[in-house]
Amino acid sequence: MIYRVYINYKKGILDPESEAIKKTISNMGFKSLKNLSKGKFFDIEISEKKNGLKEIEKISKDLLSNPVIENFKIIKK
Amino acid sequence: MPKRIISIIVFPGSNCDRDLAIAIQNHLNVKTQYVWHDNSKIDNYEMIFIPGGFSFGDYLRAGVLATKSPALGEVIRLAKKGVPIIGICNGFQILTECNLLDGTLMNNKNQLFICDKSYLKIENNKSIFSKNLKKSVVQFPIAHAQGNFFASNDSLKELEDNNQIIFRYCSKQGVINEKNNPNGSLNNIAGITNKQKNILGMMPHPERAINKFDDQDGVLFFNGLKELL
Repeated sequence: MIYRVYINYKKGILDPESEAIKKTISNMGFKSLKNLSKGKFFDIEISEKKNGLKEIEKISKDLLSNPVIENFKIIKK
Repeated sequence: MPKRIISIIVFPGSNCDRDLAIAIQNHLNVKTQYVWHDNSKIDNYEMIFIPGGFSFGDYLRAGVLATKSPALGEVIRLAKKGVPIIGICNGFQILTECNLLDGTLMNNKNQLFICDKSYLKIENNKSIFSKNLKKSVVQFPIAHAQGNFFASNDSLKELEDNNQIIFRYCSKQGVINEKNNPNGSLNNIAGITNKQKNILGMMPHPERAINKFDDQDGVLFFNGLKELL
């Protein structure tokens, strides 16, 4: 079983890297660009089990994301 | 030689542990003991230091992987019993990542590693860590890429209301403003304590300010901790 955990900054957190990418895209001529936020994802494979999703949630909350500044979202692949 | 011993937790990548040991031995006049991160027992815990540098490559987020070390489990247990804990630089990042301290340290606003002198206003001179500093502004060096302190509005208000902010970046004269904020930290925050005030986290390095021919405010910092032992 593979789960994908997406992590991105919460709304309102200033991410200079996203800002720089956004500015570059604008400079490339894509003037319709409104917002851009960078994130990351992890693909985690675990053996088939009943509480698999719960475990992934715990890993995401306790390690992969920092709840002060980041959100996470889990999807089953 | 005095009998008292202070523990310094060492992770793969720590690089301020030896500077810290020298500062403690010379200016706090006690022995030091390094505790490797995979020890789940800390024998000497009158005071514990978490040094600067890196830990586990600072992969994922600076300091986060260190929070799952056996030694850190013991630090968390002892911290909750009131043992004085001081985390410097990566140590501060580790303490926020394991929730012993509020907030987090994000990438510096200018996205650069900053290695510079910094002036710090002693914002709370009643804390056990700062009450003997005897100065309103001290100068400690900073060297970090992730020192941009951030906390939610609620946490920030609590930190301010409970006088948990110990150091703020400022000018030589003590002026706190955007110009004298090297990394973008909220409210120029450079060092905070927990609510119970037995845990201090700070980005600047007092252990690098003990040189005979340079600034010596670090000596004041370590001397000031004597009464905790």
